Amino acid sequence: MKKAIGDNMIPREWGLERGLELIKQAGYDGIELWLGDVPWFQMATSDSDVRALRRNVENAGLVVSNVSTGLHWATPLSARDPAARAQATHIVERQIETAVMLGTDAVLVVAGLVTEEVPYNEVYQRCLEALQPLGDKAARAGVKIGCENCNSEQRFLISPREFSQFLNDVGSPAVGIHLDVGNIHDTGFAEQWIELHGPRITRIHLKDVLKHRGRCGDQSVYTNLFLGDNNWPAIRAALTKVRYDGWLVAEMEARYRYAPDQQFYDTAKAMDRFIAGRL
Amino acid sequence: MYRREFLSHATGIVTLPALIDFAGSRRTAVLDLQENCCLRESVAGYSAVLADVDRAARRSVLIVPAAGRIPERAIHRMVASMQAGGIVILESGAAFASEQVLRAHRDTLRESFAVRVSAPVRLWPRRTPYVDYTWPVATKVRDFSRAMPLDQPAGETIGFADGQPVALRRQVGRGTFIFLGSPLGPALWAGDREANRWLREVVRS
Repeated sequence: MKKAIGDNMIPREWGLERGLELIKQAGYDGIELWLGDVPWFQMATSDSDVRALRRNVENAGLVVSNVSTGLHWATPLSARDPAARAQATHIVERQIETAVMLGTDAVLVVAGLVTEEVPYNEVYQRCLEALQPLGDKAARAGVKIGCENCNSEQRFLISPREFSQFLNDVGSPAVGIHLDVGNIHDTGFAEQWIELHGPRITRIHLKDVLKHRGRCGDQSVYTNLFLGDNNWPAIRAALTKVRYDGWLVAEMEARYRYAPDQQFYDTAKAMDRFIAGRL
Repeated sequence: MYRREFLSHATGIVTLPALIDFAGSRRTAVLDLQENCCLRESVAGYSAVLADVDRAARRSVLIVPAAGRIPERAIHRMVASMQAGGIVILESGAAFASEQVLRAHRDTLRESFAVRVSAPVRLWPRRTPYVDYTWPVATKVRDFSRAMPLDQPAGETIGFADGQPVALRRQVGRGTFIFLGSPLGPALWAGDREANRWLREVVRS
C-alpha cells in the first residue's frame, strides 16, 4: 500500500512548493489534490497550469494519488435547483479531466446531501441520475469515481448495505466507494464496511474517530491515527482479507496548535506501522 | 396565429410542446413545455404516475408541469381543454427561472388566466417542510424550496405555504383551472404518497 496526504493539510502560509517538500520529507509517496480547496487548484485553473502542477508534484518525487473536492458541500449533485446541479456535475467532469492530466485514476465525490429542506428520497434519485452518466464519462476516461461515505455529515447512505444498494442502482463499474474509516462514527465498524465493499473501494481515507463524543455539538469527533476508537488491527486485517493494496490517504483535521508540520511526520509514521501491521 | 406566436416561430424560439399521453387512454395527459419547462423532474414525476391516476379520471385532465415561459400554443391547448369541460393543472416552475422568463411567465398568467402572482419566495428556513392543500383533500405535500405566492387570488385558494396562498382553483366555463405556485411534480418523482393521493383526488373530482 502507498501513503498520501491531502494538499489541503499544507499550512496556508507555506505554499505549494514548501508543502510538497514537507510531504516528501515526511515519507509520503503521493498527494491528494483538492479541487477548489487550495489556491493552486481551482475550477478556473487552466489545463496548462494543471499540467504544471503535475510537474511540480513529480519534481518533488511524489505522484498524485487522487483528485478530491469539497465543492459539493455547497453545490451538491442533489440540489433542487437545476442550475446548481449542472454546476455540481461540471465539477465532477472537471475532476475527471484533471485526474487524467495529473496521471491518476480516481476522484472523490461527496454524492449527495440530505437536509431538512431536501429529503432523502429526492437526494437518492438525483444522485443516481447524476452518477449514471458521470460513470460512463469516467469509464471512458479510465477514471473511477469514489463516492465518499460522509455518513453523519451527509445524513445519506448511513449503513454499508444501503451504500452497496446505491452502487448497485448506479450500476457502473466506474463508480465505487472512497471509504473513509473515520467517518463511520458510532453507526458501525470500518472493518465491516471494508469487508462488504471490497473490490469497489477506490481509495481509503485514514483518520481516527472518538466514537463516544457525538456530533450534536460543535466539537469535532476526529483525531489522529491511534488516538480514537477505531479498531486498527481489525481494519488492517480487513484490508488484507479483501486484498486492498491501493492508496491510503491521510485526511486529518489540522490538530497541531504548534509546529503544524509535525502532524505530517507523526501521521506518516503511524501509517507505516499500520501498513506493517505492527499494532 | 397571434403576433407573438408568429414572431416566436419566425425566430425559431418556441417548439411545439410534446404531449405525453398514457397509452390506451386519452383522459389524462402531460403537456411537456420542453425548453420552457424549468424542472424536468416535474415532467418525470407527473409522467410516472399518469397511468396510475388515469384510472381515476372522470374527465379529461391536462397537466402542464413546471412552466416557465408559456407558448401561445400551450395556452390554446389549455383553454380548449377547459372549454371542453376538462381540468387543467398549470404548475409554475418560474421561481427557478431567469428574471426575463419570470417576467414573461407573470405576464402570461395575468393576461391569459387572470392569475396574479407575487415575486417568488424562498421558503427556507422554515419550521415545517410542507405545503398544506385544502382541496380536494386536506393533505400535506413537501414544498420545493421556492414558491410563487398568489396575489389577490381570483378563485378558491386551495394551497398554503406558511400562510401564504400558493394554489388556486377556478371554474372556467365547464372546465376547471388549477394553478400550483409550488411545484408538486418533483414530490411525485420522489415517491411522495400524499402528492400522489392529491393528484388522484383532483382527477377524480
